[in-house]
Amino acid sequence: MNFQKKFILVIVAFAVLLIGWIAVDFKSQEVPFISVEDLLVNYADFSQDRFRLGGNVVPGSITFSEDHLTVQFRLSQGNGVLPVTYTSAAVPDLFADGSEVIVEGAYSDGVFQADNLMTKCASRYELEDGYETMDEDKI
Amino acid sequence: MTATLGNSLLQLALAFNVFSLCAMAFYLQNSDHRLAQASWRAQAAASLFILVSTLALLHELLVSNFTLQYVARYSSAETPFIYKFGGLWAGMEGSLLFWLAVQSAFILLVIVQNRYRNRQLFPWVVITLGVIQLFFLVMSNFFENPFAPMPSGAISNGMGLNPLLQHPAMLAHPPMLYIGFIGFSIPFAFAVAAMMTRQLDSIWIRTTRRWTLTSWLFLTISIIMGAKWAYVELGWGGYWAWDPVENASLMPWLTGTAYLHSILIQEKKNMLRIWNMVLIMLTFTLTIFGTYITRSGVVSSIHAFAATKLGVWFFMFILFIIVFNTVMLFIRRHDLASQNRLESFVSRESGFMFNNMLFVAMMLTVLWGTMYPLISEGITGVQITVGSPYFNTVMIPLGLLILALTGIGPLLAWRRTTTRSLIRNFMLPLLLATAATILGAVGFHILLIYPLMTIFLVTFVAATIFIELLRGIQARRRLTGQNAFHALFGLVHRNRSRYGGYVVHLGILMMFIGFAGKAYDKEADIAMNLGDIKTFGIYDMAYTEYWMETANTHPVERPNHAAKIARLEVKKNGQAFTDLNVEKRFYTDQNNQPQSEVAVKSTLWEDFYVVMGALDMETGRATLKVRINPLVSWVWLGTFVLLIGTLISLKVDAILWRKSS
Repeated sequence: MNFQKKFILVIVAFAVLLIGWIAVDFKSQEVPFISVEDLLVNYADFSQDRFRLGGNVVPGSITFSEDHLTVQFRLSQGNGVLPVTYTSAAVPDLFADGSEVIVEGAYSDGVFQADNLMTKCASRYELEDGYETMDEDKI
Repeated sequence: MTATLGNSLLQLALAFNVFSLCAMAFYLQNSDHRLAQASWRAQAAASLFILVSTLALLHELLVSNFTLQYVARYSSAETPFIYKFGGLWAGMEGSLLFWLAVQSAFILLVIVQNRYRNRQLFPWVVITLGVIQLFFLVMSNFFENPFAPMPSGAISNGMGLNPLLQHPAMLAHPPMLYIGFIGFSIPFAFAVAAMMTRQLDSIWIRTTRRWTLTSWLFLTISIIMGAKWAYVELGWGGYWAWDPVENASLMPWLTGTAYLHSILIQEKKNMLRIWNMVLIMLTFTLTIFGTYITRSGVVSSIHAFAATKLGVWFFMFILFIIVFNTVMLFIRRHDLASQNRLESFVSRESGFMFNNMLFVAMMLTVLWGTMYPLISEGITGVQITVGSPYFNTVMIPLGLLILALTGIGPLLAWRRTTTRSLIRNFMLPLLLATAATILGAVGFHILLIYPLMTIFLVTFVAATIFIELLRGIQARRRLTGQNAFHALFGLVHRNRSRYGGYVVHLGILMMFIGFAGKAYDKEADIAMNLGDIKTFGIYDMAYTEYWMETANTHPVERPNHAAKIARLEVKKNGQAFTDLNVEKRFYTDQNNQPQSEVAVKSTLWEDFYVVMGALDMETGRATLKVRINPLVSWVWLGTFVLLIGTLISLKVDAILWRKSS
């Protein structure tokens, strides 16, 4: 076997190793992004125990704990509404009544324990429907 | 008036661009040089029109002409003057025009540099750059026109710029990123020209060497600047979250860095010619893909894809580039095959090959993680995401492997390396690295595997670089009898790209030190009443004061927002350390949108980082997120060293000197 072939073999072996490793690693890191309704109805069917949900904060549902370190709110999406608890001193700046959020965490006893709370637009830094807002307030 | 001018110029640019492409196509048929000349002149004119059109939009932004929809959306009367510039790239329409403007400036430069050189390559360079320009011109003219008027007529005030973008780093980051992205289209255009004309030696690479390195530098700095912005403006405590937008800029950086290394081999040994083609094509495709990801929001859901007309067009364009590249590579595969072959694993060539493999593997890892939510949604209907844990588990080991190669590669000999020279070169660095690792473990109680490996590899690589420098200096002193300083200067001067590269590597080492610090981040959520003293690690924080500042009380500093401010007096090990003002801002031109201003006290050893969650103005109760982020400063410092190294390689001072004399 000439050297060129050996080299290619090493590269291929490396690639196979890497892909195998990513595949194994992937299974443990998977977080399904599902609808609130899906979680409420089919929770038992999922093999994963962490989920990602999107939806809107039900206006008026935000309550902070006494020390302001834990926030509770209801997340609504389609027909599903789910109570969410999130513990952190700093919620994202765009988190407010009605805002579109994505939460990540685990579900137990009817409450979603989020360890990650993201507000929409995080990657675009642009107001999706800003135009409507502007029409109402500024004209 | 200005807007009409801008709009007309944009249309005119499109016409000139199409003319330029046609003229060049005819030139390739009949070789009439007047056609070629007309073509590049038309493209230069189109580029000038685009630049003036961009200035027109900028003018409208600066004078707050709210009859334009775009201006009304991304600027307001209260937006501070300096951030009105930021409106240029805050929205889709403006960013596309800005993209065009940067590309046009580059096209002009390329035309000025090459119009009487590279006779065979130049026509195809003009065509390639023209096609790219055409795509963005069509987008700007027909789909995302920045000069579109308000449908309801003029309004009294605009919406203002998103507060998140009102930060100095966000003024510099987008232009630098675009310069980096778009700069890679120049080597790409020359690559296409080389393919078309079968001039596949290293002329196209040498002609664009400086373009490549400059683009790479801008891309690198802009990525770090974006990270710095996330660190101080987003307030979640870190600087990198494997966000799709971050990944979009990292992917071309990874392949671009691979390309930067592998072209050295083509220049020296005329090897890896196919590979270099693949890398520059990948890099260029990824810059377009990156622009698309950043602007389209496609990554949030596959459904966002169809939501904008732009998405489909971008997708088609990217598909076109990929198909074109693949077909070209296939047709020219025999011309690209090189005569020289690899001879040994332990050779400089192999070192570069492994380096390239790792960079591409990293890019694919990032690509897979970024696209997986879309792929899974497309196939199963359920979007499955993978977050930082996935990226970290794969990327950290790959990064450490590259780090190891950074030390090993440059010291390997071409073709094959003898065992004796291996021992001679690596014995001392290995001993030093082992000593440093033991010191880290015993002296600093660093017991995690990745930080220990980082200490080992950073010391190893740093030692190889310094030993190499010392050897060079000694050899030169023997040869010329100069003192050490002069010898060093002469050494670097004689081989600038090599020693500039070493300095870049030193910068990367410093950044790795910063990355390793991440393993020791600490975070606490703390609620405080006025007068409270809370302890966090070796820090004691006393909450001494709180107040409010508004546009009325501070019209100059806070024209468009109010701020709640809490003052913390911080002691470190019982000694006075620093006073921090933590702010929560409310942007009055954005429906009082809140925006946290992080307070950070940086030292070389660690950052003390505070974000305000809430501040009750009646009771004075404040909730704070407090973090200790070790070694973060090294990431920023490493970037400066990297900058210096790249400037040495670019021979920037030589250019300046030549120009001024």
